[in-house]
Amino acid sequence: MATETVAVTESTPPARRARAGAGLLTWLGVVPFFLFALAFLVAPASYLFIGSFQTLDGQFTLDNFRNLNQPIVVEAYKNSLQVSFATALGGTIFGFLLAYAVTLGRAGRVRSGLLTFSGVASNFAGVPLAFAFIATLGRIGLITTMLKAVGIDLYQQGFSLYSFAGLSLTYMYFQFPLMILIITPALEGLKREWREAAENLGASSGQYWRYIAFPVLLPSLLGTLILLFANAFGAFATAFALTGGTINLVTILIGSQMRGDVLRDPGLGYALAVGMVAIMAVSITAYTLLQRRSERWLKR
Amino acid sequence: MAFLEIDQLHKQFGDLPAVSGFDVDVEQGEFLSLLGPSGCGKTTALRMIAGFERPTSGTIHLNGRDITNQPPNRRHIGMVFQSYALFPNMTVADNVGFGLKLKGMTPADARRRAGELLELIQLPDKGGSYPYQLSGGQQQRVALARALAIEPQVLLLDEPLSALDAKIRVELRAEIRRIQQQLHITTLYVTHDQEEAMSLSDRVVVMNKGFIEQVGPPFEIYNYPRTAFVAHFVGQLNVMPVRVVDAAAGRVALGEQTIILEPPLAANGQAVTLAVRPEELELGAAEGHNNLRGLVESVNFLGSIVRVRVAVDGATLSADLFNERLLTLPKAGEAVTINFPAHAAWVLEEQG
Repeated sequence: MATETVAVTESTPPARRARAGAGLLTWLGVVPFFLFALAFLVAPASYLFIGSFQTLDGQFTLDNFRNLNQPIVVEAYKNSLQVSFATALGGTIFGFLLAYAVTLGRAGRVRSGLLTFSGVASNFAGVPLAFAFIATLGRIGLITTMLKAVGIDLYQQGFSLYSFAGLSLTYMYFQFPLMILIITPALEGLKREWREAAENLGASSGQYWRYIAFPVLLPSLLGTLILLFANAFGAFATAFALTGGTINLVTILIGSQMRGDVLRDPGLGYALAVGMVAIMAVSITAYTLLQRRSERWLKR
Repeated sequence: MAFLEIDQLHKQFGDLPAVSGFDVDVEQGEFLSLLGPSGCGKTTALRMIAGFERPTSGTIHLNGRDITNQPPNRRHIGMVFQSYALFPNMTVADNVGFGLKLKGMTPADARRRAGELLELIQLPDKGGSYPYQLSGGQQQRVALARALAIEPQVLLLDEPLSALDAKIRVELRAEIRRIQQQLHITTLYVTHDQEEAMSLSDRVVVMNKGFIEQVGPPFEIYNYPRTAFVAHFVGQLNVMPVRVVDAAAGRVALGEQTIILEPPLAANGQAVTLAVRPEELELGAAEGHNNLRGLVESVNFLGSIVRVRVAVDGATLSADLFNERLLTLPKAGEAVTINFPAHAAWVLEEQG
């Protein structure tokens, strides 16, 4: 394909020069973004990538990736994948049901309130969230104590906020609101006429959902599931503040390789991070592709 | 007994009556249009027939069967929506075959039938396309094929051409009429476009504020409007405030000028409103016709028609003249005479 390069010279006609100037100005507007991305995304990712192939004294090595096979690393990935998948699935189902209730169901009156809550809750994570849950469901938390007073001892019955289940429950606090925020527009995109046309052609409500609504929503649902998965996979502060590192997650393991306690091995930390970046990149790509497909359907 | 009997249908949304006393019989194979301005209740009436709205009172019988409270999926009624409502996740062939699949037809038979319908709507090569790959006109054809696939007893069309551009609209409306006549399917068509209703229908139901104003063939609706609303809503209309001079002789006065109408008229001295269509007016004087003198206000060239507006004793009358190459047009400000025959004008009843 041939391309034309426009050189702005003194002999260039004024209109053409103005167009070229406007083009440059447009690009100038996005320069801060590119600088930001370069400084805080591309450069650290490159640094990680290069570091994952280096020893402590800067020699090339593949040992960092070989060390990913260690049981502690495999367990970290397994735990991270499990907690991410469980909370993504839980958040997808619970969030979908709530979004359905306020868009297509009979709870339309609380739609605005729920969306506002979701906007706040989906961004409420890290140390404050961990302490909120400790204050509520910790060993001497408000709800734990109240339930104990009526004869239900959560911790006696095997529940612990500092376990896998507790961590999952805490993650759910920001997972399902994110689902609500993303799936609500998709549910609103389901046209009333699709349901009516289906009914008109003889479909029951179940058949409408099976053949039309669910397939139309599927890319959005899968895309959001992936996004929620990535959201939980990358979480560090909440898990660290809640469990103090007793649950072995990839992010916590990376932290301990970098902080330089007993386990200090930055090379392994970089390799772990590269593995995470790869998983996140696959997730985000899949999300983008699914969202694009969903938008194509819902736009028309 | 008519094929589709709609008896005293009434629909109330809260305190607001949307449709009142909707009473129409439709014969098998008839093309009936519901015509009226936005908010007149025509779509609500159609949606009650489809089963998407439950009537507050009244009954609907289809081929002798009471379907008033039947769910939409048991009515055997096909519907085409303004927004096409094609299922975006299905190909054109799957959209057309959807109703057949639900009826339990084998995939092979459903594909064959969908193919036949795509031939009927002249899109035989589009079976594998998705709706987003089609133009608006093509999507609406597919929606029509989908509604026809289940061989409904009645076909409902809710402003199916409103979202399309003018040229496609004219093409597609001829297509709809051709298919309707070919299949001899009873059809109810909702529109606010009088030209569409007139050109397509066997009969037109003109609605206003939830009530039926008049039901009749297009010729009757246009030429013999029963109410002032119908007269104003359908086509262009000249109105003149006149006073009855001699009721028995059919003589009325427009300012200083006299107009002869076909008697009988209201009592002498009474003020009434006279109506006459613009195409009934001609430029110049004619013997035996009503001749009115006036001043030309404007001349508008509309292609096949030239509209001349003439101020006559307090009324402005439009005369629509057929365009021809040798036509001599008057100029604004010029004194002219316009004429129309006595039978062309009628007295409008007072609008309630």
